Amino acid sequence: MSVPLSQMWAVASYVIRQRLAGRTRYPLVLMLEPLFRCNLACAGCGKIQYPAQILKKHLTVEQCLGAVDECGAPVVSIPGGEPLMYPEIGRLVSELVARKKYVYLCTNALLLKERLTAGVFEPSKYLSFSIHMDGLRAEHDEAVCREGVYDEAVEAIREALRRGFRVTTNTTLFDGANPLRTREFFDAMMDLGVEGMMISPGYSYAKAPDQEHFLRRQRANELFSRILADPKRRWKFNQSPLFLQFLMGTRDFECTPWGNPTYNIFGWQRPCYLLQEGYAATFKELLETTRWERYGKKSGNEKCRDCMVHCGYEPTAVNHTFASWRGFRDTVTATVTGRL
Amino acid sequence: MSDTESLEGWVPAIGHGVTLEEVVERAFDYRGNVTVVKADGTRLEGYVFNRNRDVAVPFVQVFDRAGAGPLDIPYADIRTILFTGKDTAAGNSYAAWLRAKEASQQRLGTPLPPGA
Repeated sequence: MSVPLSQMWAVASYVIRQRLAGRTRYPLVLMLEPLFRCNLACAGCGKIQYPAQILKKHLTVEQCLGAVDECGAPVVSIPGGEPLMYPEIGRLVSELVARKKYVYLCTNALLLKERLTAGVFEPSKYLSFSIHMDGLRAEHDEAVCREGVYDEAVEAIREALRRGFRVTTNTTLFDGANPLRTREFFDAMMDLGVEGMMISPGYSYAKAPDQEHFLRRQRANELFSRILADPKRRWKFNQSPLFLQFLMGTRDFECTPWGNPTYNIFGWQRPCYLLQEGYAATFKELLETTRWERYGKKSGNEKCRDCMVHCGYEPTAVNHTFASWRGFRDTVTATVTGRL
Repeated sequence: MSDTESLEGWVPAIGHGVTLEEVVERAFDYRGNVTVVKADGTRLEGYVFNRNRDVAVPFVQVFDRAGAGPLDIPYADIRTILFTGKDTAAGNSYAAWLRAKEASQQRLGTPLPPGA
């Protein structure tokens, strides 16, 4: 595990406070999408297919901060779209850091070097660049449908590390991923010096152009078992080891769709980051009026049947850690020993 | 591709085999601009990003073609919705990219990467 102790403590104390307060539904990570615009058009992405006037829109910093305050989650992830295209990204991040929120700025890194050189960001323990890397050069450039992106991202990672920033990677794996190449990719990222890696199977967005390469549950278990079998000690993952065990099929979890709520120009997205079944005007309305029983594997909803994506299951893993001594013991054991 | 691909250009007539609720659902799922024809004959072109039937006065929410909004329109004020804009989710850019890449690599005589 590579999550800094201060961040672990912030999340742990938050979860304990929620449980002591008797709350059954509470957010862990706010997925804040200030815009949908992007400088890539990846095959597996269902986020950017909108008419021009929608792609031109973005949230104001005040709207973003209002959502952050309303939601209260200790971690804010800024995906998109490409957040480095957001004109006020520097001010937004600085305001979030001032609020002591742990920020994961999810970027394809094409603009990162330029933004770093321009002094848009200051290094902070609260800020981590989460660089989209779907594999080694060939696999990544194929996933993002453009040659040369891997090399640009690697260069940006080096620059960010050189300047003292926290850098993690986020990797989405699809059917056909090669376990050996993926393990080599983990080595390559560790060689670069990133703090940790996040991995997840892709979700079959109905609007994504590539519908043929999404993983079904059993195949996902097989793939992740092969990738994570006998994990190297040097590999650091910036996510719960229990979630990794879930991906490998050695642990079964139910989805926690309210764990990573999503806010964007349309409002609070129902029910989760992946499905768009409507929007609520407030976070309270989202929590109170979404029919949560319709979602998750147990619900029988076919859109949830094969989903194993981190935004639904990582919150479950974190909650599991604090729900029992056994969950806590399993997390500590996997964290300390590095065994999955 | 999604089943919305064929909806571009659709001109549904409410009551003729399709209900307003069904058309609203399709419009909500559609990744392009539509034209909302109101009961008074006026038209609003824009993107339907939300709808809610589980409230006392069911409504749709729209950003108009200039991006202004959200504009709330009660179901009761809608005569029909025309699928006039381009469906941005239609097409198959991944397949097109892969074909172009294969062609390029064949020209260069280099093999495709693993998993391609």
